[in-house]
Amino acid sequence: MSAGGKRHRSGFQLLLRIYPAGFRQAHGVEMEQLYRARRARARSLPAIAALWFRLIADAISTRWALRARGTHMWRQDCRYAVRQLLRTPGFTIGALALLAIGIGANIAVFTVVDAFLIRPVPYARPDDVVHIYQDDDDGDPGSVAFPAYRDIAASPMFSAVSASAPGQVLWDRDDESIVVSIEFATASYLSVAGRPPMRGRWFSPEHDSVGAGAVAVVSAPAWRSRFGGDPDIVGKTIRLNGHDVTIIGVGPATLAGSFDPVVTDFWLSISTVFIRGQAWVSNLDRREDHWYQVRARLAGGASPETAQQAMNAIAARLAVENPAIDRGRDLTVRRARDVSLFPESRNALTLATAIVVLLLVLTSANLANLLLVRGMARAGEVAVRRALGAGAGRIGRLFLIESLSLSVAGGLAGIGLAHLALAALPLAPLPPPFSTAVTLTIDGRVAVFAVVLMVATGVLFGLAPAIRSGLLDISASLRDDRRTASISHATMRLRNLLIVIQVAGSVVLILAAGLLARTVVALHRIDPGVDPERVAYVQPDIHRSDLPGADMPRVLEEMRVRIAALPGVTHAAAAIRLPAQRSGTTSTIVEDYTPAAGGNEIEINSMNVSPEYFDTMGLRIVEGRGFTRSDVAASDRVVLVNQAAVKRFWPGRSALGGRMRSTARNAPTRTVVGVVEDAPVVAFPEVPARPMFYVTSTQSPLAVGYIVARTDGNPAALVNAMRAAVIEVRAGVRVQSQGTLASHVGAALALPQFLATIMGAVSMLSVLLAAMGIYAVVAFSVARRAGEMGIRMALGATAGRLVRMIVGETIGIVGAGLVAGIALAAILVPQLDALLFGLDPLDPPTFAAAVAVLITVAWLAAWLPARAAARADPGSTLRG
Amino acid sequence: MAKSEPGQELIMRPAVFHILLALTTEDRHGLGIADEVEQSSGGWEIGPGTLYRSLAEMVEAGLIRSVRAPGADADPRRKFYRITPAGRAALSAETRRLNQLVDAARARRVPIA
Repeated sequence: MSAGGKRHRSGFQLLLRIYPAGFRQAHGVEMEQLYRARRARARSLPAIAALWFRLIADAISTRWALRARGTHMWRQDCRYAVRQLLRTPGFTIGALALLAIGIGANIAVFTVVDAFLIRPVPYARPDDVVHIYQDDDDGDPGSVAFPAYRDIAASPMFSAVSASAPGQVLWDRDDESIVVSIEFATASYLSVAGRPPMRGRWFSPEHDSVGAGAVAVVSAPAWRSRFGGDPDIVGKTIRLNGHDVTIIGVGPATLAGSFDPVVTDFWLSISTVFIRGQAWVSNLDRREDHWYQVRARLAGGASPETAQQAMNAIAARLAVENPAIDRGRDLTVRRARDVSLFPESRNALTLATAIVVLLLVLTSANLANLLLVRGMARAGEVAVRRALGAGAGRIGRLFLIESLSLSVAGGLAGIGLAHLALAALPLAPLPPPFSTAVTLTIDGRVAVFAVVLMVATGVLFGLAPAIRSGLLDISASLRDDRRTASISHATMRLRNLLIVIQVAGSVVLILAAGLLARTVVALHRIDPGVDPERVAYVQPDIHRSDLPGADMPRVLEEMRVRIAALPGVTHAAAAIRLPAQRSGTTSTIVEDYTPAAGGNEIEINSMNVSPEYFDTMGLRIVEGRGFTRSDVAASDRVVLVNQAAVKRFWPGRSALGGRMRSTARNAPTRTVVGVVEDAPVVAFPEVPARPMFYVTSTQSPLAVGYIVARTDGNPAALVNAMRAAVIEVRAGVRVQSQGTLASHVGAALALPQFLATIMGAVSMLSVLLAAMGIYAVVAFSVARRAGEMGIRMALGATAGRLVRMIVGETIGIVGAGLVAGIALAAILVPQLDALLFGLDPLDPPTFAAAVAVLITVAWLAAWLPARAAARADPGSTLRG
Repeated sequence: MAKSEPGQELIMRPAVFHILLALTTEDRHGLGIADEVEQSSGGWEIGPGTLYRSLAEMVEAGLIRSVRAPGADADPRRKFYRITPAGRAALSAETRRLNQLVDAARARRVPIA
């Protein structure tokens, strides 16, 4: 053959590369013969060119047609993969469970965390919205005085500035009165929110001062839940706190209130504040009281930084104009985006995020390990297939399809599980009158991310055995199957390494999970200060019982005495409020104390209680004395302070003899006669404790409030007797609220507890997942040694010794993993330090429990299959 | 149109028709089929890829089957193909269809020269 012919031949062989290998092998020789016959006839250059043109077109179209037929083979491979998975139901179910639980928990937790903690700001163009804070007396950014709001609103930095103040009022309906949550809000409120009302209209500027009538806008969630979506709501009148209020509109469809997703039932105009009493009217002109939340929308061209500069200028001006109040009192601008709904939960959020990530990593590691172990187990099968002529590509595809169908099925099951879990969650974790407008819907991106991660893991580790199969010596693999005494050292090392990695990852996860669980427990157990277990309360609405004001204190005292006489009651007291109940503050001057901001006045929480209060609540008097009935109006005015107040106003010395007075006109100067232990003042739990002082109802008559009673029996049973006693004293009086103190503080804890419960469940899941993963990997690799054990038994080893040997070796490897995991945890866990409620992050009990769980699981995982193998007849084991 | 097996299409692929035609008189191997197709069609050089792919598909569809090489002198590595009854039926059906087309063309006096 000529040199030219040879060149043509290699040209055609190049063309043959277009065809799939199988086709080329089957028909290549004959195709080349056909080509040569035709090439021999083509004598001119155009004829050769035409021939090649046809050949190339033919090759491409054939290749295309064969590709279409290739999908046929894919389907065949899929069927094979599914059959293969069904043939090993233990492995398949285990892997699916691991994936479903891991992905399901991950999605569910993320969804809850997303809904409650990282919920987007419910405003239009939220990047332009800022919150503005005014320093409190301690110099911490807080709420704003209404006059200061007016100063801020005049700034050209903002296109709109709103003020709102949350609260609760009593709504009289046909036959009952219920407490609803309200917000007093300015006319500019919706301009800041950037959302229009659904129906009717919002307040107009004249509603921003008292005298323009009492008007309300019902929020969209409340309109639906409380009015059944009444289309004729606008223009109706409701009675709030005994006053007629006209509904002029329904709020924006997508805004539940300033504390979205917590639902505000009604927005009330500033002109409506009088329904909460004269204090709210005079507050509008008081720079001392900071009752309003201020939010603003930046004007075009303004940034939070320039707005901050403008606020600095205003603060400086106010300090000059009202030095006694506003000296040293800064204004702070923060982006709405940066303000978390529940700042207390941020730690939990970080921890939860860490857990979610860890969970995902471990799930993916679990899957990887299972696939790798399974891949090793199938080295023999791979070798047989290779020997029978299957290309590495085909085998790789088989494994790929297998692990892909596993990851996809597991991922889908996980999404289903997350759905079920979210549907089962109680959706109303908040105490009345609050409700939430949260809907827990799975975020598509998270679901996709989790599933994609699993698929990637599946691909990566599902392919590993096939890749190895390409490198391995086929005959060695064929020999190195179950029947051989020992597995190659490389395989052994890889398997042991897998166990070490699995155990180390699990240690970190279990440790983090354990800490989370203990944080939850700590939240539950945090010392409430008061003893809520045996205390019940009732709140008679004396205010609206058409009693003359002067008689009210006497009636309240009568009720207290009546309740004190109830069977089982050991103490009964009257109090203006319950602990952990948000309230206003009193401007007070403490002698010899100079606050950080403003003049000598400070805003401090105070409470008017009857002398029996501390015994009833179980609060100890740590210094001096409590109130007595002989502290009367005619005697020296006395006051009790809590420990937090001592720390702040009389640091390092005794508070006894200290003097303070309210800035109200004609207020007497009071002398500190005792120190009470801290109890939650406005929130529960409350860290750090807030300063508080108590005055006695025997010196400052208490006209309205609560009656609390301690019983040595069941407080829940006492509640109705207390209610009856109240009505006996004064027929027709309404009971505004009642319950046990445990339920009251429990309500305050409801949301943190809800989140904590979820995270606790997650931590339990993590332990389960870690245990399952370790069990699967260890048990599988021990089971793989059945052949080796059979030989040893045949050589005379006793079953007991064999089991001890296998278990001992396994525990050794697990021990290495433990050491690695603990080292890793020692590096990682201190990062969580700040998040923990007074727990040492590396505290021994958690550590010990984590180690114990893992060792137990590993021991079981080694012992069960080892015992099974040792019991089996060696002969049958060896024959495989 | 959905993909279908050779012989099952509404209109048979020309390659399939020609291959069936080439096998009506005797069993042939691939090269022989290509030669026969070229002669009976007046010079159509069926592409090698098309030829062997069609043969594989037709075997699978049962239109033809591969048989041992006839005679002692034949190269034993060469695969010979034989038309099956199903193949003959498919060929007849397609011929009938083409015949109808030719009749239709004649009836419309389509010039053929």
